[in-house]
Amino acid sequence: MRPLDEKETTQVFEKLFKFTGPNLKHLLERPAVEGPDAEPGRYCLRLHRNRVYYAAEALVRRATAVSRPRLAGVGTPIGKFTHHGAFHLTVHALDLLAAHARRRVWLKPDTERSFLFGNSVPKSSLARITENTKAGDGVVVMSMADVPLGFGIAARSAQDCRKADTNAVVVLHQADAGEYLRKEEELM
Amino acid sequence: MGKRSGSKRKDKNKVILPPELPPEIDDDEVDLSDEDIAFYGTDSSNVAHFRHFDKKSIDRYVGRVAGRDEGEVERLYEERQKRKATESSGRPREDDDELEVDPVDALPTKTLQGELVYNRAKKARSEDNTGSVKTKAQENGADAKKIIKKDEPKGKSKNKKGDDNKVKNIQSQTEVPKGQLHSNVLEEVKEELSAEELFEKKKAQLAELGMAMLEDPESNIRSLNDMLSISNDKDQKVVKLGLMSLLAVFKDIIPSYRIRQLTEKELAVEVSKEVKKTRYYEYTLIRCYKAYLQKLVSLEKQPQFYTVAVRCMCALLDTAPHFNFRENLLASVVKNLSSSDDVARKMCCEAIRSLFINEGKHRGEATIEAVRLIADHVKLNDCQLHPDSIDVFLSLRFDEDIGKDETEEEKVKPKKNKRWQKSQEVPKQLPVNDKKKTRQELISKAREEVDADLRAVSFSLDPKERKRIQKETLSALFETYFRILKHSVTTSNSRTKVNNVSPSGLHPLLTPCLAGLGKFSHLIDVDFMGELISCLKKLSGYSDRQDEIPNDNALSVSERLQCCIVAFKVWRSNLEALNVDLQDFFVQLYNLILEYRPDRDHGEVLADALKTLLWEGKQQDMLRAAAFIKRLATFALSFGSAEAIAALVTLKHLLQKNSKCRNMLENDSGGGSLSCLVAKYNPEATDPYLSGALASVLWELSLLEKHYDISVSSMASNILSMANLNPTQNPVPILNVNPLEAYRDLSMERELLKPASKSLPLNLKKKRRGKEFVALSPDVLKKADCSVDKHELEEKLQSHFAVLRSISENERLRGELNHTLSSINMYKEYKKQQKKKNMKFKTGRKKVAKV
Repeated sequence: MRPLDEKETTQVFEKLFKFTGPNLKHLLERPAVEGPDAEPGRYCLRLHRNRVYYAAEALVRRATAVSRPRLAGVGTPIGKFTHHGAFHLTVHALDLLAAHARRRVWLKPDTERSFLFGNSVPKSSLARITENTKAGDGVVVMSMADVPLGFGIAARSAQDCRKADTNAVVVLHQADAGEYLRKEEELM
Repeated sequence: MGKRSGSKRKDKNKVILPPELPPEIDDDEVDLSDEDIAFYGTDSSNVAHFRHFDKKSIDRYVGRVAGRDEGEVERLYEERQKRKATESSGRPREDDDELEVDPVDALPTKTLQGELVYNRAKKARSEDNTGSVKTKAQENGADAKKIIKKDEPKGKSKNKKGDDNKVKNIQSQTEVPKGQLHSNVLEEVKEELSAEELFEKKKAQLAELGMAMLEDPESNIRSLNDMLSISNDKDQKVVKLGLMSLLAVFKDIIPSYRIRQLTEKELAVEVSKEVKKTRYYEYTLIRCYKAYLQKLVSLEKQPQFYTVAVRCMCALLDTAPHFNFRENLLASVVKNLSSSDDVARKMCCEAIRSLFINEGKHRGEATIEAVRLIADHVKLNDCQLHPDSIDVFLSLRFDEDIGKDETEEEKVKPKKNKRWQKSQEVPKQLPVNDKKKTRQELISKAREEVDADLRAVSFSLDPKERKRIQKETLSALFETYFRILKHSVTTSNSRTKVNNVSPSGLHPLLTPCLAGLGKFSHLIDVDFMGELISCLKKLSGYSDRQDEIPNDNALSVSERLQCCIVAFKVWRSNLEALNVDLQDFFVQLYNLILEYRPDRDHGEVLADALKTLLWEGKQQDMLRAAAFIKRLATFALSFGSAEAIAALVTLKHLLQKNSKCRNMLENDSGGGSLSCLVAKYNPEATDPYLSGALASVLWELSLLEKHYDISVSSMASNILSMANLNPTQNPVPILNVNPLEAYRDLSMERELLKPASKSLPLNLKKKRRGKEFVALSPDVLKKADCSVDKHELEEKLQSHFAVLRSISENERLRGELNHTLSSINMYKEYKKQQKKKNMKFKTGRKKVAKV
């Protein structure tokens, strides 16, 4: 377990920034709610076995007592580095992103399932979209009951959505809550 | 009197006379004289009698005022006579004996009733001239009265002054014996008299010309020139009078069609006498109208004539928007839309508004011209104008289906054309001989011509034309609006850094512009939408970087709120199908609620924003709704009852829609599993998602339950009752209004209550205050507030005021009684005294008799 180096930090932050925008600051500076310390510390990012973890400082301090091969993980995993060195966000980051994201897409209730099976979001299943979404922005996909379902990348802006035909893809799938079942062993 | 009217009858056949001096007659006599004339006309045997009577009265007048210096008056009179002779050579000789009757004319006192006298003179004349059309003449008389009355106050006061002077002078004359020493004094008198007379004369002349014009415009059209030349006078009053009377004349005689220039071909053709006459009439009319307009435009630059000129132009634009030279008229009226003179601006605004509303008068062409002119005006002045100049756009009207019809019609059109072509083709295939063909062509040609003529004549436009005009108007309108928006976006950033002036001064046009955008939001083209929204976002003060101090924006809170409202309206009216979440504007509203100050900002705008964004919005997501609920509760606690009720109504609506948020009503803080990542409520967060409102408790509501305003407290308790209900259940609605209406109702009540509370007697106030102090303890407050029912309160107030009223009534009656009693007593006393006196007298008499 080690802190991220500069290159890795920029990679992670760029990915997160796509979703949160200026809220990235809040993501990193919010007071920690975990750990027994009276004075809450901050959250920090740690790399362990190619995975990036988002954990409270108190937790990290305690985790140093565990030897590296025996440590399964610390805090919330938010993504992993591939063999090629690229960074991918994983489903675990969903709660974090949902709280801080700036652009959201709401799905019609009967099309939620299709998304949870790993498909992209076509225009026909779109119920609502945040106004200033642009192509390439990260968006969090929500159900109409405001439950976060997953996240992805907007394929076209909110303006273009109006003109697009019903089958056109609006959000490209990146991760969804269905992965907890489909890729159970991969995730751990 | 009789004599004069008789001489006038002799004048009957003569051409227009220059006006004579005002004869001197009292108010009552005016009416009488009319009858007299009528009577005289029928029965000439009474003449002698009339004459006799007249002389007597005149003698009386002369004797009263200037009986002694008859010679002076005579001389003055002669002088005037000479002048008149030089001025109007065509004056008939009979005037002499006519004027013999009233040498009094030269006397100063008469001018006091100048107006009335004209009236009478004119009436008499018109009645003489047009005995048959009596009613018309009477109407004209009324008109003339109107015209003259406008200048009445000034004229009167001046006349009075003049009178005083003259009386003094005359007195001085009477004091001093006739001699050469005082010739200079006489000169002065003469000058003054002549100025006064000149004014009166011109006034009379104007009135007479105007009357003549109105009676028979066709034959008297030339007198327009005379009127114009009179209004070139040096005297300001005369000019103003001239302008106004010309206005009245033009208003009446301008035809309902536009006069066009004759083509050479038409000129070449021989025409009948009547046509020639009409042509001459139209030609003169248009020439005079042009000269008049030019005069108006030139006078407009002089401050003393400014108001009059503007009034004339506005009235002309109002009555004759179809007539020639409308463009010039419009241009100068539009220019004055933003004048600093309040009166002139109001008049111009009214004129333009009526132009927009009564499109039937000019077939909508003037509308588009006006809109374009205003657009240019805004452009030229760099958006620094008075808000009224844009406000007029709000009275524009557009058909609802401008956009729709076009596409439908285009679809329909080809079909129709095809059918038509087919039907055309069918006869073509048939063998037709040449004669038939030519005949058909002739017929179709004739039909086309007739159609064209009909179109030219009829005032209703065909739908296509109408649509075209409306489209152009719309584009000019939005061009103006967008220019203003752009301008305020670009300047708001640069200017505020230089100087922090009052915000509304920088963008005077923004508020009416936003109002207009809100009104016409359904007509905006979707392609503009993106830019428009981003513009509005910038104006509403939203910035991507949230750490930045949110405002270096020059706009006031209400203006920014209005931006949010407009953005919402625009989206809602255009993209109903695609449900778009305007998150940034919600964030903006969330922050603006905190910046609201009741004295500085308009509460109504805030209530409107709450209504459009939160009340009418389809669905909020939970976190945001919770944040808004919490903030609205805080807001309701800190401002007046009207703001509070608006906030509470919105809050209730949000709670009804988001049943999950109802656990904010429960007493354990922390929010349980729902409070996402933020575990503690942060009241100062700028982002509703990060405020952690779900973790808070709505303790404000239980305080609001004890609000002094009954409607607020009942609303708060109604909301609190939601906590015990199922998520699907909704409480019994007590107030089914939107926030804006609720706000209006309560603020109205507040306005109504204000004077009432002032008029309450002092002791009542004291009592109230005492109660208030007691009410600070919550128990008493509960008793006091909760137990009071609306009906009960009403009844109590009614009985209280009934008692008050009966007391005052009682007092009044008692006073009357006392008064009558005392007067009766007095009368008794008086009688007693009288009796005593009588007794004394009688006894005295008796004594005398005895003696």
